[in-house]
Amino acid sequence: MADIRHEIPADRAGRSGPDSGGKHKGGGMAHSGLKSFAGLMARQGILVAFVLFLIAFSVFSDRFLSAENIFSVVRSSAIIGVMALGVTVVVIGGNLDLSVGSMLSFSTVLVVDLHDKIGPGPAIVVTVLATLCLGAINGLLVGVARLNSLIVTLGMLSAIQGLTLIYSGGKNVDIVHQDTTWFKIFGRGYIADIPVPIVIFAICAIVLHVVMAYTPFGRRIYATGGNPTAAVFSGIRRSRVVFATYLISALTVAIAAIVLGSRVMGSQNNVGQGYELQVLAGVILGGTSLLGGSGTIWKSVIGVLILGFIQNGLLLLGFEYYVQWLVTWVVIILAVWLDIAAKRGRLLSPIA
Amino acid sequence: MKTTLKVLITGTTAAAAIAFAGAASAEKIKIGITQNNVGVDSYQTTYEKAFKAAAAADPNVDVVVLDAGGDVARQIAQIQDLTQQKVQAIIIWPTNGKAVVPAVRKAHEAGIPVVITNSNIAKEGMPYIAAFSGPNNIEQGKEAADMMCKALNNKGDIVQIAGKPGYTTAIEREKGFEDELAKACPEVKIMDTQPGDWNREKSQRVMEDFLVKYPKIDGVYAADDNMGVGALNAAKAAGRAKDIKFIGATNFAVGYEAMAKGEYYGSVYQSPVDDAENALKTAIDVVEGKKVPKMNYFKTPEITQENMKQFTKPVF
Repeated sequence: MADIRHEIPADRAGRSGPDSGGKHKGGGMAHSGLKSFAGLMARQGILVAFVLFLIAFSVFSDRFLSAENIFSVVRSSAIIGVMALGVTVVVIGGNLDLSVGSMLSFSTVLVVDLHDKIGPGPAIVVTVLATLCLGAINGLLVGVARLNSLIVTLGMLSAIQGLTLIYSGGKNVDIVHQDTTWFKIFGRGYIADIPVPIVIFAICAIVLHVVMAYTPFGRRIYATGGNPTAAVFSGIRRSRVVFATYLISALTVAIAAIVLGSRVMGSQNNVGQGYELQVLAGVILGGTSLLGGSGTIWKSVIGVLILGFIQNGLLLLGFEYYVQWLVTWVVIILAVWLDIAAKRGRLLSPIA
Repeated sequence: MKTTLKVLITGTTAAAAIAFAGAASAEKIKIGITQNNVGVDSYQTTYEKAFKAAAAADPNVDVVVLDAGGDVARQIAQIQDLTQQKVQAIIIWPTNGKAVVPAVRKAHEAGIPVVITNSNIAKEGMPYIAAFSGPNNIEQGKEAADMMCKALNNKGDIVQIAGKPGYTTAIEREKGFEDELAKACPEVKIMDTQPGDWNREKSQRVMEDFLVKYPKIDGVYAADDNMGVGALNAAKAAGRAKDIKFIGATNFAVGYEAMAKGEYYGSVYQSPVDDAENALKTAIDVVEGKKVPKMNYFKTPEITQENMKQFTKPVF
């Protein structure tokens, strides 16, 4: 409980301005320069880590900070990123969603396959609806039936995998006329010189940020995740809130699927496999508590971008892929540690 | 006489199927196959269809078609069941080249010849098998290297997008390609190699990074067409596709189409139909006592823009 009260005002403060933050946090954070630096770190540790990574990589690779590269990384992070936004909402609501990876496979296979059969417009509509149905199943089982979300969504992960295989018969699906369809706008287009996937990612992030931070609905999600019992006693309909979080998550998956389908113009069963872990890594890097009740949308954006830039940076520096895996892990641990250490003001926990 | 063909769906026991198949006439050659994971990709789906069609076309053969569903334990149980039922040959598409070795040895000791199909068994299992039937991935890598030399006139800088790390197919293609390239045209240099995990989206991301990192790329070798087309997508988006020669392996329909459009240089044609027919024929030859090479490869020819008309468009 203490953690929730601690975190939400801090985020509010982070938005309204760095100075007001320390006071809201209470305690002895704002007494000296060092302390206020610690306060800044506590609120924005992940952002500081992000900037440090960027500086480190740009020292070693002159191409790293080129506009071309930055656009390229953000564009390819957009798919994981959009999904991470939805999963952040679920996690803040106190649950997990591991089914997003295979849900993404399902949705991309669906949208790409239907594109040539019923046209891009209807294909998008059907895909969004079908994906929402999958999200609704998650939502019913976790929200209404009150089953453990880890088990439900882990089960859905393989169930949807099976569904995708049944649908596609194991075949690759492709869009034949890639250059003439307007469907290409989502993955390959530009709006005012900015790649559309980035625009979509930004719009989704802003919308969800506003929903989570400024609407009663968003507050209810925080409350439900922070203390479900207290939330119910405060008159919040817990099951509806949880149900809604899974719908939001499914919607973001559908959006990601449309971007991916348009970008690749084809799909296969293994396309989304394992993405749920990257998504979760991004969310955790963003400092969202897996226990629910705390976290922010825009920090998940940073979390996903950190992962994207690390992978890109290591590749630009010419590391072998297995080094990339190791370093990615190390960076996640370091970033999370930095974040936690800054919050409690010391490296190791004072309580054994 | 009508050929009896019994197909088992994942999860049912082999024994039941063989009981059915046993009702067929005794003088036919009875062959059992346990596949890796049908339905997981187009190649394996087409393979199974072609295998059944080939068996149905041969009046002297009776087959029991099983699928391990990617599960090693289930595959071992299926091998044991087939051994118990005394089929005359067992064809195995290993889910795991090492784990199936003991079961293969038992079958061998029971006097049943084992033919491995598509992906080979681990070295320690080699003494127990009658033959391996499948594609030669080292050779495929070599063919791709030769195409690359030709495409670039023996000079240039290229990048390589490999398969999923740890897969034998990925390792062998990479090795075949690198060794032959160093021999045939040492002035073609591989600047970088990264895995694309057999995934078009991943490959597209890797290629985007390569395009940023290297201002000049003359060629791309991808360990299958799915990844090759992902790389092509990335290069097209960056407006650099015209300067780059794309060479893949395992020709996919998308690669075939890109080749027809002139965007894709070439690939290696590997047909699941040839794969399946070669496996069945190898098993029949083994049962009939004909001499079969231990490594019985089927042909995987080069396919380029020039000769592509001789090939039918792949079904996957």
